[in-house]
Amino acid sequence: MVEISSDVIRGYNDTMILFILMEEPCYGYEISKRIRALSNEKYIIKETTLYSAFTRMEKNGYVESYSQNAENGKKRTYYKITESGKNYYRDKCLEWTLTKEVVENFIRRED
Amino acid sequence: METIRNYLESMFANLPNTPDVMRAKNELLSMMEDKFTELINEGKPQNEAVGIIISEFGNLQELAETLGIQKELGGAAEVERRLITNDEAMEYVYEASQSRYLIGIGVMLFIFSPIPLFFHEIGIVLFFLLISAGVGVIIWSSIRMSQWKFLDTTLCCIDYATADYLSDVKKNNTMSKALMLTIGVMFCIMSVVPILLFDALLVKEYTFVMVGPAMLFVFVGIGVLLIIASGAKDAAYTKLLSLNGVETVAGNYESVRSTREPYAEKKAAAGVMSVYWRTVSCIYLIWSFISFDWHITWLIWPVAAILHGILKSVFNGK
Repeated sequence: MVEISSDVIRGYNDTMILFILMEEPCYGYEISKRIRALSNEKYIIKETTLYSAFTRMEKNGYVESYSQNAENGKKRTYYKITESGKNYYRDKCLEWTLTKEVVENFIRRED
Repeated sequence: METIRNYLESMFANLPNTPDVMRAKNELLSMMEDKFTELINEGKPQNEAVGIIISEFGNLQELAETLGIQKELGGAAEVERRLITNDEAMEYVYEASQSRYLIGIGVMLFIFSPIPLFFHEIGIVLFFLLISAGVGVIIWSSIRMSQWKFLDTTLCCIDYATADYLSDVKKNNTMSKALMLTIGVMFCIMSVVPILLFDALLVKEYTFVMVGPAMLFVFVGIGVLLIIASGAKDAAYTKLLSLNGVETVAGNYESVRSTREPYAEKKAAAGVMSVYWRTVSCIYLIWSFISFDWHITWLIWPVAAILHGILKSVFNGK
């Protein structure tokens, strides 16, 4: 069973989080749940990874956080993407297309 | 959920108590809570849910940079604290309070010791027997406690669950502590009653004349025993609850903070307060045995109590 190397995926955690935030503001656990579902259960993001990505991106101005009470009355921190976050996301997408293109040239398919 | 909370608290226990760290802890807890609720709703057994959550938590190293805690996690500056387990904590409370009772019994024997002198010349033998028994009991008690010396000499800590538990039992103990103290003080005050009573009854026969004063020592002895024993458990709880470093997350659990006096952060003040009652007891015993004015020396206690209150408010002020 091949597993995702955390070194490789690290550079793209931001991309995945921003992808989800592009649709609507979201809170921590919901984001991790969606990442898991969208990756067909192949990638489970760790809580600490998620939190450090939040704080890093907030510091860089890509996301904003605010607290809001959820349906069940629990107070949660929601994250919202900013304009500069959207730009950053687009850059990351281009970066990935390029990366994929380059690496792809070196992948030998065994038949 | 308790297990998860404890796990998270133990991960954060030795980190500095800064807003960033607290925020990270709360946010992580909130995520873990959500996950837990969902897993349980999916019908997972509790143990399995806890296992999944802990395995998917990740590690604090990832947060080091964002929280500015590289130093603490790096190992270089990390202060190793010995964790006192829940079992050890309970054992300590048991032994420390036993030891306090023994000291109380020792002091009581000292106070009883002059009684035989009233009745017969041979009483001097009993006097020395009582004194030596008292000394023996006190030495024994301090030997029993020597295995806990490390609490003072090494840095120790207690975890979140233990702190919670201790603060609970400490609160529950308040009533019995107050009750014992009250009865103890009452015994001391009542100690003069037998003298007055025997005086009033105009007992003239020699052997009976001395019963009044003898009873005074018995009453004071029991009273002092109760006063010393009343704080036994409480002192042990407080000691354990004060082990966590003030500057760390663990030192700021609600349970720990609520029991800490504000002056605990000032070294000199904390030093004075920690030896306060021991010093008072020493002065009381020395003065009493030298002067033998037992009917006056007990005044030390109320005076000391008032002084204690004054000192506390002075230290807590600025």
